[in-house]
Amino acid sequence: MSDSHSYPHEPTGVETRKLGFWIFLSTEILFFGTLITTFMIFKGRDFPGIKLTDVYDIPFTSVSSFVLLMSSLTMVLAHNALENNDQEKTRVWLLSTAMLGAVFLAGQIYEFTEFYHKGFELSSNIFSSTFYVLTGFHGLHVFIGVVLLLALWGIGQRQKGLSLDGGMNLEFVALYWHFVDIVWIVLFTVVYLI
Amino acid sequence: MSVDHKPHPKPAQYVQIALVLGVLTAIEVALYYTEDFVGVFTDPLLIILAVGKFVIVVGWFMHLRFENSLINKFFTGGMILALILFAIVMFERAAANFI
Amino acid sequence: MTKIIEPKKQSNIFKRPSSETGIWSWITTVDHKKIGIMYGYAAFFFLLIGGIEALLLRIQLASPDNNFLSAAEYNAMFTMHGTTMIFLAIMPISAAFFNYLLPLQIGARDVAFPRLNALSFWIFIFGGVFLYSTFLFGTAGAPQGGYLAEEVSRLGSAPNGGWFGYQPNAGFKYSPGTAMDYWAIGLQILGIASLVSAFNFITTILNMRTKGMRLMRMPVFTWMTFAVSFLLAFSLPIIAIALFYVTFDRQFGTTFFLTEGGGDPILWQHLFWLFGHPEVYILILPAFGIVSEVLPTFSRKPLFGYPAIVFAGFGIAFIGFGVWAHHMFASAISPVAQAGFGLSTMVIAVPTGVKIFNWLGTIWGGKLKLNTPMLFSLGFIGMFVIGGLSGVTHSIVPADTQQTDTYYVVAHFHYVLFGGAMFGIFSGLYYWFPKVWGKMYNEALGKIHFWLMIIGFNLTFGPMHWLGLQGQVRRTWVYAEETNLGFWNLIVSIGAFIIALSILVFMANWIYSKRKGPEAGFDPWDARTIEWSIPSPTPVWNFSKAPEVKSLDDFWHMKYDEDEDGRPVRKEGADALLAELEEEGLNPSEEIVLPNPSYFPIILASGLPFLGYAVIYKMLPLAILGTLLILIGSFGWGTEPLEEEFMEDLENE
Ligand code: HEM
Ligand SMILES: [Cu+2]
Repeated sequence: MSDSHSYPHEPTGVETRKLGFWIFLSTEILFFGTLITTFMIFKGRDFPGIKLTDVYDIPFTSVSSFVLLMSSLTMVLAHNALENNDQEKTRVWLLSTAMLGAVFLAGQIYEFTEFYHKGFELSSNIFSSTFYVLTGFHGLHVFIGVVLLLALWGIGQRQKGLSLDGGMNLEFVALYWHFVDIVWIVLFTVVYLI
Repeated sequence: MSVDHKPHPKPAQYVQIALVLGVLTAIEVALYYTEDFVGVFTDPLLIILAVGKFVIVVGWFMHLRFENSLINKFFTGGMILALILFAIVMFERAAANFI
Repeated sequence: MTKIIEPKKQSNIFKRPSSETGIWSWITTVDHKKIGIMYGYAAFFFLLIGGIEALLLRIQLASPDNNFLSAAEYNAMFTMHGTTMIFLAIMPISAAFFNYLLPLQIGARDVAFPRLNALSFWIFIFGGVFLYSTFLFGTAGAPQGGYLAEEVSRLGSAPNGGWFGYQPNAGFKYSPGTAMDYWAIGLQILGIASLVSAFNFITTILNMRTKGMRLMRMPVFTWMTFAVSFLLAFSLPIIAIALFYVTFDRQFGTTFFLTEGGGDPILWQHLFWLFGHPEVYILILPAFGIVSEVLPTFSRKPLFGYPAIVFAGFGIAFIGFGVWAHHMFASAISPVAQAGFGLSTMVIAVPTGVKIFNWLGTIWGGKLKLNTPMLFSLGFIGMFVIGGLSGVTHSIVPADTQQTDTYYVVAHFHYVLFGGAMFGIFSGLYYWFPKVWGKMYNEALGKIHFWLMIIGFNLTFGPMHWLGLQGQVRRTWVYAEETNLGFWNLIVSIGAFIIALSILVFMANWIYSKRKGPEAGFDPWDARTIEWSIPSPTPVWNFSKAPEVKSLDDFWHMKYDEDEDGRPVRKEGADALLAELEEEGLNPSEEIVLPNPSYFPIILASGLPFLGYAVIYKMLPLAILGTLLILIGSFGWGTEPLEEEFMEDLENE
């Protein structure tokens, strides 16, 4: 911006968009917190019908959890590549992140259909409802993340390439993506392992 | 762009961090299968491991360690608030059901 | 010579909106002032609708065994009255104040994210329209197993399960039809609007402050906006998820809140009030802020105990998260929880009391000027104290089990919401009227408004205290002759019409003064905060150059010194300084870059109601249409060049 401008910038020293985005992430904690709380409350209760323990497939879910975890690595590598302005690498890592995310989603769809065939449906009992709504809400977040990643990758094909300023840039998509990953870290433990 | 005071890690370090995350996940899954031996410690251990992974991703991959402390305050504040509120709700519901 | 940089006419894909007047300038605006004004008018429109609903309720209750409304209609009216007043009237009217004043009070040119701001506004509008479209499209059938057959409502079907939507009453079994779905999804949409604006205001306050505007120099109204934004940001997600559950229960056969399938109706109450109690502070804190601006100005004294007021505000916001279960004393919650929440409720009265004493300390020994804004602020203190005290009586659990669900509670929350929040809001409307329109309202009419309103208000809600203690239950459409409640109910209804009359006076004053009122000049109140240091009505660019703030109440200190006894003495050069400020405010000497208007906020927002209808009617085409609108909106949004890029292009040329 031109120097004739008397307006100061960001007295807190944090970039405005980044600040806004982190506040958004902080409130996301309460979205997922509410869902997890509901899950935990009903987990401690007796209920009729089929249970999650009757259907789940820990080895399978472990693998897909691992996939999502590793997508955080590729994401952070993409971010790092862009910081060094290596467009080529940035695109490669972006695309791998999107692919890993897609693999996770495919796994979730497979898991849902398997469960469904075993009779574990959305309205089978309170437990299946909380399971689907909780993991589904997370899945929706992953889906949006994949779309954003692909959009970034598409933008990266342009002549100018990607950059770290302006709009919804790679930095924010990365933050979002890692956030979705940490939610899954919690869900994997709470929903599947405990 | 924001000026960070501490330098971000290098790619090699990111890979090491990811390895640690992978190992922690492996331990988690192993714990699940050894519940019979580990007994009552399983769940607390699982929670500690999850918290560990959480902190690693937030701190290093999301660069929270390297950010302005203001952001840290928001995020931790949101966490603490959520934990307190939801703990109360959970205990209240559990108490109402069993007492 | 003023140079306002023109918005870029051609973006990558779409033509940029460029109208500066007329309807398109409002639809595409991202100017916080225009958005604030639109919020204000829209909210006032809903206030009138909510008011008409209240009058219908009061006609029905004016005499025993009355037949004016059917039970079905009564249920719909009290539900829509509460929902409207809270979500469509008071919250958005507070948002109007935030929008208009916040950037001015911190010396900024706009909010941090102007387009997001427009998005919030349009989502609010579409949410309100969606909710009210229930009267056209909604249905409400007879509850299964209910003892009151639901008759056809002459008004069209509307949500009828209360603004609190208690389960399982608001579930599909006892509230069949689609009306309650309109409620759940409508609130969901409105919640998004508030959530987005909360992010926006927090970042604005933190990052858009002008030079020298340290946190502890911010006006109290700005502080209260800050607190409210936190409350919104951390409480809305909870209700959002709970409303998801309601929608799933009603539409997709889950049983989150229905005992039949192992669900838990009390969980709904927890989630609702986890949001609901912070919500009542979301409603009152803006009024606290307004009053804290008005009282010092009209007492010609600094605010007594500024830091105490700020910290008490945050204390209230924080403790406000820890008292929610006092709304559930009559539900099956454990005795430990009852004791704990009773205690925390008593504790929250402490920071509230601190504020009251600060306000009293402010007017104590001041040279009071009793203009209309001041009258409303004084009225606010009185009425809010009464409401706060009855609130404390609720915190005693055994007493509350007598009071709950009676008119005593209705009296309590109207004293805090109407006597508190609304009086504060009216005070602010009069106080900033000259700022917004450059004209002065009519003082005589203003005073008539105040006196009619305070008399009508006390006639309406005062008797409800004893009506409630005599056992009149709330949410019930008739009472029997033998209860002897008829007399006071009649008085209450008369009071309600006096309030309606006072609102008419207010509207007449507004419409007349906005056109024909005398010129106000830019500092009619000899005010203290920097929004009064610029011309009225506010120029599009707010401050022609970023002001530099040197102290709390900066504008006051530009005009006044203190003598040895601490009395204010007008500085010699004060008048010259004001003239200079006005001259400079109208003729900026530097380039001004304003955020560009945009079509995309309204396009994006318009997708949401379609998604809502798609869920209710399970119609895929509607879902696709809604998603498409959102995608088009986001895509256009993302590809629209920002002002900064435009500036760079300009420099390269
Ligand atoms: C001194 C502070 C306050 C205390 C101690 C307090 C306490 C209470 C309690 C215990 C109840 C539950 C009564 C019952 O249902 O049996 C209640 C209801 C209510 N309060 Fe307050 N309150 C306070 C201030 C406020 C304020 C500032 C507002 C809003 C601006 C407010 C709005 C409400 C509303 C709307 C309800 C009724 C909700 C419903 O059942 O529909 N209160 N209050
Ligand atoms: Cu409350």
